[in-house]
Amino acid sequence: MVREGRSETEKLRGVIADLVREEAEALVHEASEAITEIVRSNLLPAVRSAIREEIAKQLEEAVYLSQTARAQDEGGAAAEAPDAEEASGNEERGLYVYGIADANVETELGQIGIEGKSVYTVSYGDLSAIVHDCPLEPYESDDEEVITRWVATHQYVIDVAEEKFGTIIPFGFDRIIKPKAQASAKDVFRSWLAEEYDTLVQKMEKIRGKKEYGVQIFYSPSVLSQKIADESEEIRGIKEMMGTKGPGAAYMYTQKLETALKREMESRMSAHFKDFYERIKNHVEEIKIEKTKRSDEKDRRMIMNLSCLVAPNAYQALGAELEAIGGESGFFVRFTGPWPAYSFV
Amino acid sequence: MVLDIDEVNLKHGVLGLVIALVEVIRDTLRLQAVRRMESGRLSEEEIERLGEALMEFDRAIEEIKVEQGITETVQSVRDGLDDLVTEVIEKMVNPERWVEEA
Repeated sequence: MVREGRSETEKLRGVIADLVREEAEALVHEASEAITEIVRSNLLPAVRSAIREEIAKQLEEAVYLSQTARAQDEGGAAAEAPDAEEASGNEERGLYVYGIADANVETELGQIGIEGKSVYTVSYGDLSAIVHDCPLEPYESDDEEVITRWVATHQYVIDVAEEKFGTIIPFGFDRIIKPKAQASAKDVFRSWLAEEYDTLVQKMEKIRGKKEYGVQIFYSPSVLSQKIADESEEIRGIKEMMGTKGPGAAYMYTQKLETALKREMESRMSAHFKDFYERIKNHVEEIKIEKTKRSDEKDRRMIMNLSCLVAPNAYQALGAELEAIGGESGFFVRFTGPWPAYSFV
Repeated sequence: MVLDIDEVNLKHGVLGLVIALVEVIRDTLRLQAVRRMESGRLSEEEIERLGEALMEFDRAIEEIKVEQGITETVQSVRDGLDDLVTEVIEKMVNPERWVEEA
């Protein structure tokens, strides 16, 4: 009897395994072109750039080591790592760009830049760029704290400039303009400004006076699945069935229950997503849907991650709307900002 | 490129990967099993035995994870797989992104 039971289970297992295999094969076959395409377009460039990066890093290290060695031989004190670029005799011919201001000014902002560099403006037409002179190598470090500090300084400079000159088109961290042949970095940059001038002015008009805010909405899976379990006929039915069964069948019904819960949760979440999106859209100039991220907190999952461009007079209403969303049971809102309009330029 | 390999992290890595894959297969089996149950072609007794077999399977996986201290490794492999799948699906849904990245 026991033997029979066992062989039955094995038979079942075999059938299931076949089914899974068949389905997987069919899927792979159907999608093989798409998969090949995706692998080719994603994986290969990533691998290539990773290899390139690694080679560059190794080379750089080798160069740095030989330079330090030379510097020490000559009796000169070797500079600390961040100043290695300077030690290599590389003058500050690059131009580090923080952003573009909505004003024509030529002025100094003092030594507030990254690593205490003097920040000043380069004007063109109705715009001015906020820059400092820098070595040609990008700011790179293995130390996360150092990078955080640099990025914070980058942000701080933009804040100061915004205070002084109004709206800023922010640049990302580590944008460095290099000199080309005879032209200095400033010349290269000015000709770039000339080329892009119309686009920049358009962008400026779009964001003038407005601020970017981040809106992230989370839900608590446990609270909401409880709610679904209370409300759904189907789930209550399955639960009742479970009470009368043996442990094996109860396990099966638990799986069924979880699948039903998940399905219901997904459909509710997509309804909530639409609802929240519409409600938020009413109060903002523009919305960008960003990728949702995994939350570090327990029992919190992100349902939406938005960047919003907000006019000053709409801020209050948006805040109130978000408060209303955060007040719904099982939902939480994280509202950050104001930031320069990074996501909209 | 220097790969940092020692016995412990190699074991964790490979075993974690294997168990993560086994878990993925387990999840598929579960789905199939529930589908079969819902089709109504299984007798009560068969459902019970199928459930018990899957339960044993779960228990075995849990034991291995605890014994080998790879619970976290497995989770991180699975999270990684999830992210990868999400990304691939998103790309399939939004072919414009292929162009953007090209």
